Amino acid sequence: MAQLTAFSYRSGNSYAHALDVRIKLILLMLVSLAVMDAGPTALGVMSLCLMILVRYLHLPLKSVCVELRYFLILLALVFIARSLSTAGDPLIVWKWLTISREGMKAGAVVVWRIMLVVLVGLTFVATTRPTEIKAAVEWFLKPVPLIPRARIGTMIGLVLRFIPLIFTQAGETLDAQRARAVEHRKNPYYRLTKFVIPFFRRTFETADKLAVAMEARCYSENRTNPQFSARRRDFMVLAVCAVFCCLIFLF
Amino acid sequence: MDTSRQLHMTVYAALFAALTAVGAYLAIPIGPVPIVLQNLFVLLTGLLLGSRWGLAAVGIYLLAGACGLPVFAGGMGGIGRLIGPTGGYLLGYLPAVYLIGLISEKSDQRTVFDVLAMLCGSIIVYACGVTWLKVVSGMSWSKTLALGMYPFLIGDALKIAVAVPIAKALRPLIQVPKSRATISREDNSQPVTRK
Amino acid sequence: MSIIELENVSHRFPDGTAGLQNINLSIMEGTLSVIAGQNGSGKTTFLKHLNGLLLPNTGTVKIAGEPVIKDIHRARQLVGMVFQDADSQIVGETVEADVAFGPENLCLDPTDVRKRVTAALAVVGLTKLAAQRPHLLSGGEKRRLSIAGILAMEPRIVVFDEPFTSLDYPGTQQVLQEILKLKQSGHTILVTTHDLEKVIYYADRLIIMHAGKIVRDGLPDNIVREVEAFGVREPCTSRLGMEALPWHN
Repeated sequence: MAQLTAFSYRSGNSYAHALDVRIKLILLMLVSLAVMDAGPTALGVMSLCLMILVRYLHLPLKSVCVELRYFLILLALVFIARSLSTAGDPLIVWKWLTISREGMKAGAVVVWRIMLVVLVGLTFVATTRPTEIKAAVEWFLKPVPLIPRARIGTMIGLVLRFIPLIFTQAGETLDAQRARAVEHRKNPYYRLTKFVIPFFRRTFETADKLAVAMEARCYSENRTNPQFSARRRDFMVLAVCAVFCCLIFLF
Repeated sequence: MDTSRQLHMTVYAALFAALTAVGAYLAIPIGPVPIVLQNLFVLLTGLLLGSRWGLAAVGIYLLAGACGLPVFAGGMGGIGRLIGPTGGYLLGYLPAVYLIGLISEKSDQRTVFDVLAMLCGSIIVYACGVTWLKVVSGMSWSKTLALGMYPFLIGDALKIAVAVPIAKALRPLIQVPKSRATISREDNSQPVTRK
Repeated sequence: MSIIELENVSHRFPDGTAGLQNINLSIMEGTLSVIAGQNGSGKTTFLKHLNGLLLPNTGTVKIAGEPVIKDIHRARQLVGMVFQDADSQIVGETVEADVAFGPENLCLDPTDVRKRVTAALAVVGLTKLAAQRPHLLSGGEKRRLSIAGILAMEPRIVVFDEPFTSLDYPGTQQVLQEILKLKQSGHTILVTTHDLEKVIYYADRLIIMHAGKIVRDGLPDNIVREVEAFGVREPCTSRLGMEALPWHN
C-alpha cells in the first residue's frame, strides 16, 4: 500500500475536468457550506443533481462505499445516537430505549448532510489533478499578507511526494524488525520506541537529502506562478451555483 | 534564519504533515488492540519542530485535506471529514501542537515539561474532539465522553510515555546545521547560505 | 577550454576531519571524467563544491571562468547534479511537476517552463509517463527522471554521484545511454564511482581520490593498473590484459 486512498484523480475530458480549478474550489466550499444549512427538500434536490453528475462521470460508487466503510459505520452510530437521544414523539420503545420520530429525522438529516459533503468532495477530487489543487490553493493565498504562499505550495507538493515514500520506509523498518523476531516482545513501550526511532531517523535522512537536492536545483520562493484559464461558461456555472446556494441560505 | 535552514525546516514540516497523514494508517499490533500512531506523531511534531513549524506542519495537513487532497485516512473526505463526527479531533491538533511546541521551547526541553506539554496538548485535542462529537451526534456529555475519550486514555498515556525518549533520541537530528556532521561521514554536507 | 577549475581547494568539516586537501584540478569542456575512490575518499564532498552546496575553507572553485562563491545561483544552474539516491531527490508529486521544479525556481515564463519540461522528458524518453506519480517508476526510470529534472535547467556540466547504485542491468544500460547522449550533445560530464567496470570504456580521464586528495590523474589506460592500491577494483578487462569493452550494449 503506497497510498492513503485507492480513490484519486481519474483522467477524462468531461466538462467537470475542464472547469477552472479555482472555480471548482470555490464551488466545493460554497456547496459544502450550503449543504450544512440545507433542509430535507434542498438536500433532495442537491442529491439528485449530484447523482446525475456521478453517473455522468462514471464514478464507481461501489468501491467508494467499500473504501468509506469505517466512515459509514461512524455515520450509522451518529444516526443511532441521534435517534436515541432526541426527545419527542416515541416511535419505538424497548425497555429503557426510546427512539423518537424527531430523533430519527434529525439523525437522518445530519447523516445525509455529511454524506453529501463527502460526495461533493469526491467528485472534485475525481476530476482535478493534485497539482492543479496545489496551484489553486497557492492562488487563493495570494492576497493574504504574511503567508509565504509559494512555500505552502511547495509543502503541499512535498506532502504528496512523501506519503508513498514513508509507507515504503515504514514497511521496510517493520519487516526488518519482524525478521529479528520483534513479535516476541510484548511490552508496547519497547515496541513503540524501537520502531519509531529508527523509522523517524530514516525519514529525516531522506528529508535532509531532499532538501540538499532542492538547494542544488536552485530552490527559491520567488518562482514561476501557476497558470489558469477561466472561461466565460466557468463563471456562468459559478453564478448558477451561487444563486442556488443563496436560496438555500435564505430559506 | 538563513535560507538553507529555512528550506530544511520547510521540508521537515512537510515531512511531519505526511507522517501525520500516514500515522492514521500505521499501527503496531500489540495484543488484541493495535496502537494507531497518528496522535503520537502529532505529539512528536510539537516536541521536535516547536510551535511555529509544528503549527505549519499540522496546518498544511489540514489544508491539504480540506481541499480534497488524499491525506485523510480511510478514504477521501475533504471538508466532509472535518465536519464529520471525528473532525473536532483533527482540528484540535492545530492548537494542541502549537501549545506543545511552545511549552517545550520555553522549558528548554526538560522531561517534566515535555510531559506537561503533551498532557495539555491531549486535553485540547479531546476538548475540541469531544465537543464536536457531541454537537454532531447530539449525545449527552457523559455518553460522548464514554465513547469519544475514555477508551483511548490508556493508549494516550502510553504514547506520552513513549514520546519522551523518542523526542530525546531524535532532537539532535533536527537541529539542522549544528550536528549533522556526526550523522554520517559521506553525507555531512554543511549547507551554505545563498546570498 | 577548461570549464571547471579548482585551485588549492581544502575543506574541513565542522567536527575537524579533513574532507578535501589541496585539490588542484581543471577539467576541459565536453569531456567525460571518472572520479574513483573508496567510500569516504571525498568524492561526494568534491562534487558538492562544484555548485556551492559546500564552500571551501581555502582556495577557489571556478565554473566557466567565474568563482562559485560570487554567484552560487549561477553555479547551481550550470552544474546539474544527479545524486546517488534517486528517490530522495524527486521533489514533485508527479513526473511533470518534478521536472518543472527547476525551471520554476529560475522564475521562467510558464510557457518556457512547459517547453523545457516537454523537451527534457523527450530526451530521457519519459514523455508517456508525464502524469505518473514518481513512486510508481522503476529504478532506471527514477534515475532518468532525476536527469530530466536537471536537463530542464539547461546545465553545461552534469555530475553523477554513483549513478549505478542499486540499479538492475536494464536500468544501468538506460542510465549509461543517457550519459553518453549528454556527452554527445556537448555536456561536460563527471561520474563518481567505486566500480570502474561500467564506465571505464567511455572515460576520457580517470581521477583517483584517496583520503581527500587526488592521488592519480590521467588517461584511463595509463593509470588503471594502479587503482587497487586505493581501494578500487581494477576492471576485468584490464586484469586480463585486454582493452576496455563497452558496456551499454
